[in-house]
Amino acid sequence: MTVALKVGEKLEKMPEASVLGIKTSINTYFDVIQGILDNFANARGMDVIYVTSTVPATPILNALKMLDIDLTNTYFVDCISNVLMGRGEEEENVLYIESPTMLEMIILKVEYLIKKTSRHAERKKIVILDSINSLAIHNNTKILSEFLHVLTNGLRAKDAYTVIFMLAEHSSEELENIVAFVCDDVLAVEVEEVE
Amino acid sequence: MVDHTYRKKRERCVTGIEGLDNILNGGIPRDNIILITGSCGTGKTTISLEFLIHGALMGEKSMFISVTEATSKLLKNAIPYEFFDERLIEEGMLTFIDMPALYEKLGLEKPEFTFEDIDVLVEAIGNIVKELGIKRLVIDSITSVCYRLKTEEKIRSFILRLGKLLSELGCTTILVSEISPMEQRYSMYGVEEAIADGIILLSNMERSGDMLRTLQVIKMRGTQHSRAKYVLDLTDIGVLLVPMLKGVGGG
Repeated sequence: MTVALKVGEKLEKMPEASVLGIKTSINTYFDVIQGILDNFANARGMDVIYVTSTVPATPILNALKMLDIDLTNTYFVDCISNVLMGRGEEEENVLYIESPTMLEMIILKVEYLIKKTSRHAERKKIVILDSINSLAIHNNTKILSEFLHVLTNGLRAKDAYTVIFMLAEHSSEELENIVAFVCDDVLAVEVEEVE
Repeated sequence: MVDHTYRKKRERCVTGIEGLDNILNGGIPRDNIILITGSCGTGKTTISLEFLIHGALMGEKSMFISVTEATSKLLKNAIPYEFFDERLIEEGMLTFIDMPALYEKLGLEKPEFTFEDIDVLVEAIGNIVKELGIKRLVIDSITSVCYRLKTEEKIRSFILRLGKLLSELGCTTILVSEISPMEQRYSMYGVEEAIADGIILLSNMERSGDMLRTLQVIKMRGTQHSRAKYVLDLTDIGVLLVPMLKGVGGG
């Protein structure tokens, strides 16, 4: 089974308002994203809110376009472009936050996008947080833990799915515990396991 | 078992700002006169306008008295709310008045008001509220009005009389107060905050080089409310609020 299929299948089995942690390596990173978007969200006609603090939204958008992934209902919250002084032309469907340390603004922009897209009441939402590791570079673990708690509980109340990325190469026991605390399940995706 | 019935719940003026209504346990107690206070760029005018627009959309006639800025300029610079409909103005649900024009009409173009002038001004505002059936009023800013009153006695007299009159007319009022960023009190003259039924403090808070807009309800007579600090975002779908994260003991 491919990584994308495995991720899609895992999400299919989870009830609404679930929180899933995905531990992935850099090698399977785009397969995981493809699995979430193609095999789950787009197949179900969902709105996707992609919070990126790892890589700016533009390169992710370009990579996903190369993979022929439909991004019509995908919205980005970009927390890193401004910090990298690399914010070029504004992309459609991308909201920018000044810094990944502005965790409250991440919650507010996610809420904004949920409200803004709520005119399609029938469309369920999925929020992808990419990644806990990059947020941990800019924030201490205490405030990060508090942030995840507030964010995931708020999204559960709105019946939205949440996916939290953990990059295996940059993980730590402490970070994994923080993620495990707010997640219903954690899926570890290893290249050797799925090939 | 806790008995919640002992206290009669005051009727609420729902602000329409979801986060603020939650903080206030349902909205501003009706007929209250409250102070929205903060330094420049904190969102005082924006929140006040949203309060009025939601009111007008809910069928309550609303009025904005602009003291410092011409309403034409104000409307041009205001956030283009998705829910704002210009017909609210055309149909008289939302009224804008320039205070300098009112001063001119009342013959009050002078640097300092007397107690008699205060009577004239309070009566004029009361008459407009009564004639138009206004249920929500914003005066932006009370600080600019107070500038012409000069003494604490006059400021106290003006706000007390205005508050009493508007409350009797069933009007819920927001007075916008300007303070400097490092101010240790909630109003320029110190009198406004003591008389108002409620105080909502808006601030620009710097945290590790980030500038966050925050909101805190300091007092609100007639309701239980949160006193925590919230981070706010001014958007085209209105003001959004989230509790400020504390990160206590972070390492």
